[in-house]
Amino acid sequence: MPFFSGIKKSLCLLLTCFWVFVLQAQKCDFVISGQVQALGQPMPNAHVLIVETQQGLQSDAEGRFAFNGLCEGEYTLSCTHLNCEHLQQRIVLKHNESINISLNPHSYNLEQVLVQAQRNDNLAAKNSLSGADLEATQGIGLGESLRRLPGVSTLNTGASIAKPVIQGLHSNRIVLFNNGVRQEGQQWGAEHAPEIDPFASAKITVVRGAASVRYGADALGGVLLFEPQAIRSAKGLGGELQMQGFSNGRGGVASGMLEGRLSEKLPLSGRVQGTLKRQGNLQTPDYFLNNTGLSESNFSWTTRYQPKRGFVETYYSRFYNQLGILSDAHIGNLTDLQNAIDRGRPLSDGQFSYDLNRPQQRILHELVKLKGAHELKQGQVSFQVSRQFNRRQEYDSHRRFNPLPETLDEPSIEFELTTWAAELAWEYRRKHWRGSTGLSSQHQRNTTDRGALLPNYQNLDWGIFWTESWRKNENPWQVEFGFRYDQRRLETSTQGNRVLEEDRNFSGFSGNMGAVYHFSPSFLLRYQLGTAWRSPHVSELFSNGVHHGTASFETGNASLQAERALKQGLSLEWKAQNRQHSANLSLYYNVINDFIYLEPQARPQLTIRGAFPAFAYAQNDARIMGLDWTAQVDLGKGWFLEQRLALINGWNRNLNDYLVYMPPLRLEQGLRWYFKAQKEQEQKAFVRINAQWTARQNMAPDTDFAPPPAGYFRLDAELFYPLKVGKQNWEMGLSAFNLLNTRYRDYLDRLRYFAQAPGRNVALRLKIPF
Amino acid sequence: MQIKHLRLLPVLLLSLTLWSCEGDDDDGGDNEEELITTVELTAIGGGATLTAKVEDLDGEGGKAPTGTPLNLKANTDYTMNVRFLDASKAPVEDITLEVKTEADEHLVCYTPSGAMTALDIQDKDSKGANLGLQTKFKTGATGAGTLLLSLKHKPTKTNANPCSTGETDVQVTFNVSVSN
Repeated sequence: MPFFSGIKKSLCLLLTCFWVFVLQAQKCDFVISGQVQALGQPMPNAHVLIVETQQGLQSDAEGRFAFNGLCEGEYTLSCTHLNCEHLQQRIVLKHNESINISLNPHSYNLEQVLVQAQRNDNLAAKNSLSGADLEATQGIGLGESLRRLPGVSTLNTGASIAKPVIQGLHSNRIVLFNNGVRQEGQQWGAEHAPEIDPFASAKITVVRGAASVRYGADALGGVLLFEPQAIRSAKGLGGELQMQGFSNGRGGVASGMLEGRLSEKLPLSGRVQGTLKRQGNLQTPDYFLNNTGLSESNFSWTTRYQPKRGFVETYYSRFYNQLGILSDAHIGNLTDLQNAIDRGRPLSDGQFSYDLNRPQQRILHELVKLKGAHELKQGQVSFQVSRQFNRRQEYDSHRRFNPLPETLDEPSIEFELTTWAAELAWEYRRKHWRGSTGLSSQHQRNTTDRGALLPNYQNLDWGIFWTESWRKNENPWQVEFGFRYDQRRLETSTQGNRVLEEDRNFSGFSGNMGAVYHFSPSFLLRYQLGTAWRSPHVSELFSNGVHHGTASFETGNASLQAERALKQGLSLEWKAQNRQHSANLSLYYNVINDFIYLEPQARPQLTIRGAFPAFAYAQNDARIMGLDWTAQVDLGKGWFLEQRLALINGWNRNLNDYLVYMPPLRLEQGLRWYFKAQKEQEQKAFVRINAQWTARQNMAPDTDFAPPPAGYFRLDAELFYPLKVGKQNWEMGLSAFNLLNTRYRDYLDRLRYFAQAPGRNVALRLKIPF
Repeated sequence: MQIKHLRLLPVLLLSLTLWSCEGDDDDGGDNEEELITTVELTAIGGGATLTAKVEDLDGEGGKAPTGTPLNLKANTDYTMNVRFLDASKAPVEDITLEVKTEADEHLVCYTPSGAMTALDIQDKDSKGANLGLQTKFKTGATGAGTLLLSLKHKPTKTNANPCSTGETDVQVTFNVSVSN
């Protein structure tokens, strides 16, 4: 196909050209930002002060701080923290500085100053999860971590398969960035979870609202960013080992990381990281869930060469997991489905086993990226090229009839997707404006082995974007706007044994604008208006076959058009100055024209296997609106009350009916107590108890196979305890999920038709830095 | 850790860089699906051999399955065998052999209605439980009826109602007429 040829060549050319940019000195409107840490752990509530300007602030919950609008010159940065000595550091400010302040129990040590331009922060509402709150859930799975982010829920197929849902949208309507690379797997399927090692990320951020300009036109719901810990820049070698064990499923995880920098002279750092996980059958309060174990092995390495004015980074990661699907959920036809729903529970009480049988999934995801950035007079240029390979193998409960001995272990269906992507971006500053512009391109090739569910296809995407934001110190307003143009060419070849050869072209603009108004230093109002669009996925256009997880026959619609969204978000954010009270109310209203969805058909599809409920892809106008509320009350003496509420309403405007699989109303109330257990520890221990109440989803269409399950109440508890072992700062965590062993079914769990959700799970974890 | 060991780091990372990437191993061939396209009944009784079949040659989707009826004689003893075929391939593949080989994991269930009478399963699996590839029945008075046949994979044969368990590989309805 000549259309796709020469891409690799032009990528190489771009890469070469990029290095020709030259650096020069610069002068004003700088930012000093950074993080106060103690042996890799963020330190909140440290006082950071610029002595000359007497600007002072407290590091936030993640230990971060930032001073804006500084002029070129010499400054003294001072940092103080409870129980720690006073520390001062001279900085010659010629460009934006990002500083890691590292604390030792007895002394502070300002690490080498990193030279890094600030990424353009967009004004969209966002929240991050890191530190102990992230680590408490990493071992359970990515889904458990994601659910802790405001506005995020998960669409599950059992406990092991969890897909993020941002403000009601999931799959191809949200975008995941894993270490700066847009994750491209088989995300179209409802039982296809993101192929990401939870232990490789030190921080997960959700960007709610239309952030499509910077992250891709198809971010209709929002964006999730998975970022690793910044690589070690000090000379020497270090690392950490994490070990976790779980009572439910008798699971265990070991994850290790080793990183180092060679010498003071050569600014080259490297890191290797890996995770092993094994888990057996999960247990509900009443029975075991047969064949719900998993085994996972992930590995990654990274190198970073960072001379004075830029960096070159390489990253490789390999994710492989093998997971069993509850045998009772694998359905032959409509009668089987009805039988299973009528039973409402597995046929037998099951038993514990580590065996992984059919049905199962085996997923491999591999990522290689090369990124370079160069500081310019007023900004930076960066270039990134990446390759991803995703192999998804699904093993039906029944292996092939009359198998040849060598094909015994072959999957029932296999998808292989290879994605090449490149992005060139230029970020710049002039006076109070910050902007970025760039172009991105992506090529994908997908093959389907066995079965005709999807055709073989190729995608070629191009996009250009431009964003600007304005901010002036002491001006209450902050504004931003951005535009993006994308086009996609889709070429299909064969589907099963049939020659399809249908091509499609899609293109469109998207844009967003936003404004923030600061009523006072502690109170702000944020408004965002954005458009996004998404071309129909191949599965929506051409899929044709039985979907085993749900016993439904799905038919694509070759005449689908792109869907377009207009999303508005309004949020009020308040953060007390003197105490740690905070409150955040976000409202959103998302109109999606030509929303693509599966429409139930009146007549079932008859096959030799019996009848299947038939669904066909259709387009209608939809509207999703909702609110997210989070609040924290500082009760004093280390006690905090935490509250979260999410309410969402999805409506199909043409059918005048609710949208299926919208997250039900959820209210969480937590109580946390920080205490100091040991004299020398600089990170506080805490206990936390969290009550979660999920309502019955009363706003559901009645076309579902079974009515939505009843609401439920779930209690979780956790203890975080830093230990001093010799000279090392170990961390210990003890968590209990579903502490009361409550029997429940979640509306967003596709296995709720067949079984209860897992029962109590007690997890013990230990983190050992070295 | 000793600093001099750090010299090994670039060597380690370089060797990791040379770790070969995985690639698409699809050669573009073998997209064949596993199908059962045809269910064929052969009933012997009253000195005659009758056949009936339900067939869906284009697989799941596309055209609906079509069938020929089972025309039985009234008040007659019959012995009936069932065959499962993949007629989309040449030569036609007989999947019945596979069902026989894995008898423990399969069960053929019959649900008669109308003039069709109950069937007795004749064959057993290695554990002595029903298999259902061969049945016997005696027709009654004349009339019309249907016979629902399903092939279950991994049923719980010890269950009180084994036909409500397992995954259905085949489920077809034969029209039955009983005449003199």
